Amino acid sequence: MTKILLRYLNLLVLTLLVVIVFSFTLGYLFPGDVYTNLTGLESKAEALRYLKVDSDAGFFSLFIAYFSNTLVGQWGVSSITGEPLFSEVLLSLPATLELGFYALLLAVVVGLPCGFFAGLKPQRSLDMSILGASAVMYSFPVFWLAMVFILIFSLNLEWLPMSGRVDLLLNVPTVSGFIFVDILLADNIDKGHAFVDALKHLALPTLSVSIITMATLIRAVRRSTLDVMRKPYIIAAQSRGLSSAQIFLKHGMRNALLPILPIMAMQVTTLITNVMIVESLFSWPGMGHWLLQAIYQQDYPAIRTGLLAVAGAVIVLTIIIEVLSRLVDPSREKFDRVAV
Amino acid sequence: MSRFNLYQDEFHPSPWRQTWREFKRSHVAMAGVVVLAIFAFIAFFGPLISPYDPTLQNTDALLVPPSWDASGTVRYVMGTDALGRDLFSRLIHGAQVTFGTSVMLVLIAMLVGVAIGVMAGMSNGTRASVINHLLDALMVIPTLLLAIIIVAILGTGLVNSMWAITLALIPHFVHHTRNTVRELMNKEYILAARLDGASKTHIFVHSLLPNMIEMLVVQWTIALSVAILDITALGFLNLGAQGSTIELGAILADSVNVVYIAPWNIALPGLTIFAMVFAVNVVGDGLRAALNRRLRH
Repeated sequence: MTKILLRYLNLLVLTLLVVIVFSFTLGYLFPGDVYTNLTGLESKAEALRYLKVDSDAGFFSLFIAYFSNTLVGQWGVSSITGEPLFSEVLLSLPATLELGFYALLLAVVVGLPCGFFAGLKPQRSLDMSILGASAVMYSFPVFWLAMVFILIFSLNLEWLPMSGRVDLLLNVPTVSGFIFVDILLADNIDKGHAFVDALKHLALPTLSVSIITMATLIRAVRRSTLDVMRKPYIIAAQSRGLSSAQIFLKHGMRNALLPILPIMAMQVTTLITNVMIVESLFSWPGMGHWLLQAIYQQDYPAIRTGLLAVAGAVIVLTIIIEVLSRLVDPSREKFDRVAV
Repeated sequence: MSRFNLYQDEFHPSPWRQTWREFKRSHVAMAGVVVLAIFAFIAFFGPLISPYDPTLQNTDALLVPPSWDASGTVRYVMGTDALGRDLFSRLIHGAQVTFGTSVMLVLIAMLVGVAIGVMAGMSNGTRASVINHLLDALMVIPTLLLAIIIVAILGTGLVNSMWAITLALIPHFVHHTRNTVRELMNKEYILAARLDGASKTHIFVHSLLPNMIEMLVVQWTIALSVAILDITALGFLNLGAQGSTIELGAILADSVNVVYIAPWNIALPGLTIFAMVFAVNVVGDGLRAALNRRLRH
């Protein structure tokens, strides 16, 4: 086990290193001056002071300086606002993770039971309708779905708000960046009202993001339930006289869930992409919204930082899920190549 | 003269023919093939069937509803947009660009991905591990972010967004190719070929490729649906097709401002994208099911 954990640690460090090297080369690839791209500072002297290097520093020593700055959170400043990029990322990354987390939660809560029902009675009408629904859900363009939701629920029915995370009049101070935690921490506001308001703001973006993940999950769970229920140990359990509920709860469900975690690990990138697209439609103040503003305003240092933050978050999340799946599933090959 | 028959069947269908026979049994999948054929026809002959020039602005007919609406006119079958352009013609041209470019870029991604995947799968040691780590790093960058970076370097445009999506799809093919090659390399017939002194190229062309091709076709359909969704998403966010290039996502982006007064401008392009992706997915599923059934026989 220690060996596997070490291999994952190695993978984590190496992949993060590759991402940092990639973000460093972006400084050369983006239009404009390298020092400006790496720090966001206009004048070369200030940029050199920020990186703590001499003006005659070569490619390699510049990278070392950039690397150590990146590790301590000195990610440069935005060339538009002049704010430190690290703190801007700290403000918007939690919003993205929050939306992604709730979408994943909704997908799991709806997707698992649907997948089980479909997989237990294959080729019946229930299975066919669930499978058909998941195929339809899987084919929606996420931005179009979000727009249709806005049109129906926000513009025509006026049930739900169409932008932001919480009513601005509530004036919730940002502490952690996660809206519900912030509401709990805030003083002198009506917490119940704020909770309901935040939930209302959350409903449409979460629904639009989770539809695709839900469809993937339903299909994966159905497939693996089908496979598991054909295994010899299920027949053995049947011959011992267990009821079908017992068989499913004791033997079927747990074994069917094992292959799901690695599939979820593969889905993290798709999920984050969809979150970033939906954010821009709902003006959700997350990484996607922030990065799109950065590209429209040609704020190159911000894009470099966005790469560091988003890719870093995806790597960490994927590896956490992978390690979890190794922990719950000892049957996976010990020397199976570890991969993101 | 009667011939001696050892087997009941005179004719043994090839694997492809068997798959096609299994595939035909699913009516839904066949319907998907028909829809895809229509889109392919549009991609080749679209400009011939579109009734108007998609950029022609008719200021006398702004936001005309579709013909099935009470106030619609049959001159504009699917209505017009805020600049008086015929939506039907725009959809045909948009579908042509979206579908055509998606097919092209998935083909490119597959060629590159299979080449790298075979190299990674057949080699081991340092070379394989370097390739793997680089690809892992590429795989954790979301498509949208990759597109933003490429747009920042090269500027906006349909071709640049195509590069971004191709780059994002390559690891997907590499991953599956590498796993399949790893699996196949342990088979006895590969060992036999190697003992006979076959070169790596020979093994790849004669032993690996015929066994991989079905997996590749299925992966191709999956990648195609991802590519269509991504290319329209980038077009919608103004990172892809610009201005005169008509693309389904860009049509949607043009219509955002009139969503409330002219919802058909949002509904119809969206449904076109949906039909395209749905048909690709249905065909892919049917293909996968047919392959599974054939292998079980």
